[in-house]
Amino acid sequence: MSEELLSYAVDPAEEENERQEIVRLLARSDLDYEIGVEAFVVFRLARRLIACAGLEKNVVKCVAIDPDWRGEALGLKLLTEIVHLAHERGHVHLFLYTKPDNVDFFRCCGFYPLAVVPGTVALMENTPVGIQSYCNQLKKLRQPGDVIGSIVVNANPFTYGHRHLVEHAAAHSDWVHLFVVAEDVSLISYRDRFQLVKAGIEGIPRVTLHPGSEYMVSRATFSAYFFKEKGIVGDCFTAIDLLLFRNWIAPALGVTHRFVGTEPFCRTTHKYNADMMHWLRADVSVSPAIAVVEIPRSEQDQAPISASAVRRLLRAGDFSTIAKLVPPTTLALLQSKYRIERPTAA
Amino acid sequence: MSAPLKLRRSMLFLPGSNAAMLSTAYVFKPDCIMFDLEDAVSLREKDSARLLVFHTLKLPVYSRVETVVRINSLSTPFGLTDLEAVVRAGVDVVRLPKTDTADDVHALEAEVERIETDCGRAVGSTKLMAAIESAAGVVNALAIATASKRMIGIALAGFDYVMDMQTERGDGSELFYARCAVLHAARYAKIDAFDVVFSDVNDDAGFLKEVELIKRLGFNGKSLINPRQIDLLHNAFAPTEEEVDYARRVVQAAETAESKGLGVISLGGKMIDAPIVAHARLVIARANASGLRT
Amino acid sequence: MKIVREALAGTLESSDLMVRIAPRDDELEIVLQSEVIQQFGAQIEAVVRDTLAKLGIFAGLIVIEDKGALDCVVRARLQTAVQRGVDAWTADWSALS
Repeated sequence: MSEELLSYAVDPAEEENERQEIVRLLARSDLDYEIGVEAFVVFRLARRLIACAGLEKNVVKCVAIDPDWRGEALGLKLLTEIVHLAHERGHVHLFLYTKPDNVDFFRCCGFYPLAVVPGTVALMENTPVGIQSYCNQLKKLRQPGDVIGSIVVNANPFTYGHRHLVEHAAAHSDWVHLFVVAEDVSLISYRDRFQLVKAGIEGIPRVTLHPGSEYMVSRATFSAYFFKEKGIVGDCFTAIDLLLFRNWIAPALGVTHRFVGTEPFCRTTHKYNADMMHWLRADVSVSPAIAVVEIPRSEQDQAPISASAVRRLLRAGDFSTIAKLVPPTTLALLQSKYRIERPTAA
Repeated sequence: MSAPLKLRRSMLFLPGSNAAMLSTAYVFKPDCIMFDLEDAVSLREKDSARLLVFHTLKLPVYSRVETVVRINSLSTPFGLTDLEAVVRAGVDVVRLPKTDTADDVHALEAEVERIETDCGRAVGSTKLMAAIESAAGVVNALAIATASKRMIGIALAGFDYVMDMQTERGDGSELFYARCAVLHAARYAKIDAFDVVFSDVNDDAGFLKEVELIKRLGFNGKSLINPRQIDLLHNAFAPTEEEVDYARRVVQAAETAESKGLGVISLGGKMIDAPIVAHARLVIARANASGLRT
Repeated sequence: MKIVREALAGTLESSDLMVRIAPRDDELEIVLQSEVIQQFGAQIEAVVRDTLAKLGIFAGLIVIEDKGALDCVVRARLQTAVQRGVDAWTADWSALS
């Protein structure tokens, strides 16, 4: 106590000297600095930076304590500060990635494990009633049957390809649970995507449309996915997202099958589909295996229909081609709200 | 026989937001415990610390030690609510920070009286003390010390004071005038005087050197930030066997004179004045509180 | 009073607790995690219910991460969270005792 412990927030974009010290502190703990972090809490003792914890939206990252200062008390103080900082920034429900060895420590800090990839990574959330109460809500929507299908779509935007996938799944299942990715980082807003899916699957029987959640293809479960439009893919923790689905969501709804379209264009999605084969089916969980059904994309003029193709056409202003790939509701919305203004020739 | 002397040698500072320290600090047995709602509490935790101190003050374990709360200045958005909380919770003494004038004390007293009336607490039962942290406060020390009959002491706070004086903490010479001024004001007003905190808790020798100095100057005690300093301080204030023997004989002589209705107290053929008797009682009280000096 | 927003109070440090509250329509759900839940779980929950009742709070989700706090610390942190989570704090000082 001879030197006062200083605790304060750092904006890494504004304070380069602090950021450099954080990079060095993380390196001493064998951790990488993550560029997505928007704010840090740091502790400084006698001018020395001894602890840091970062926030990217509602995900706690880059938590490190100088090896010379490790002890539970400082860790609890650090986590207290980052939880309060997150709250001030509008994030109440927090997620945290850590090494599986640290799960016990973070358990003492009010974080609860959601999924663990042994030897690699664990995802935790800061509430004991988060995923459990989400699954309790899902359980109310269970449907009877031997084959219960599931689909997760981003639908950015909804195309005939998506409709084909849902129709196929419905034809081969007793019931289908369809989820729309809720994370709002795509060209088309979540609100609009959800409405397009709702209109687009009109008339297909035995389908329940679910809003997405933070437990499924979200910034928390799958953060690297959302970097792809910025050109940064990096290593993505698909395993966490898929284990969450297998261990929590699928059992709540009694899901037996997951349907996906083949992915010829997007490398990240292609990898996600490939990883699905492993994490949903292999002997990596105590929860029952889920059959993965990959169906070929429907085609238009010998080319697979994909949302990314539609976005390319949108940038080119080619609505006549788009009209062949998407239902009228999607076309109308793209024309009215997502038309990309281009300089007109003089 | 007069009422037992209230010793205020050690005033232990506790951050008002720290639940663990608040829950356990009484075990260190300082003469006074000061819960801080001011500088030791971040802006974010002002509301939280206030409620924590409100409840802590009501713990039975704190009824056996004198409790002091340093509230935020009444000119801040927190000060008045702090005062509402601690007066209602039964604090013994409210410590006003950054006191510059007697009017600061008058303003505090008016609010304390209103709250006492509101909540049914005996009017006058909340005592006050003022921290002097500026040149203005030092110059006005006498007016501050005599501003209210609720006042039990004034304390010099060194950090802000040296800033105001355009200097910094050093060997103590920078505090020389302020210490003397605060002390004289307190003695004149017949209230207690408290010296600054000694912040390097690892430097026992430096701490004891400062304690010797302020004890010799005549301070009643010192503000402390680490419980470890309590025993060191109490021991430094404890009298020697010789001092206690002499004090006992002085008090005995005074009581004999009183019972015989004599106007003059004599010991060994010498006349003894009232201040000598008062000092003897202080020596005995210190010995009773923490034994002889080791 | 009514909890209208999520609010947080306290710390994860020893002898303290962290309280998180959130609005609920018409039920009071208390989720208590404690290192001493075997001996003191029921007592802590009773303190929580009593503290909320005195404030007139009858609905909300209350999540508590207890680190061995005294009852008075539980009261203080919970009252702070409620103060931060309501629109208008109307409680009298006597309701805080």
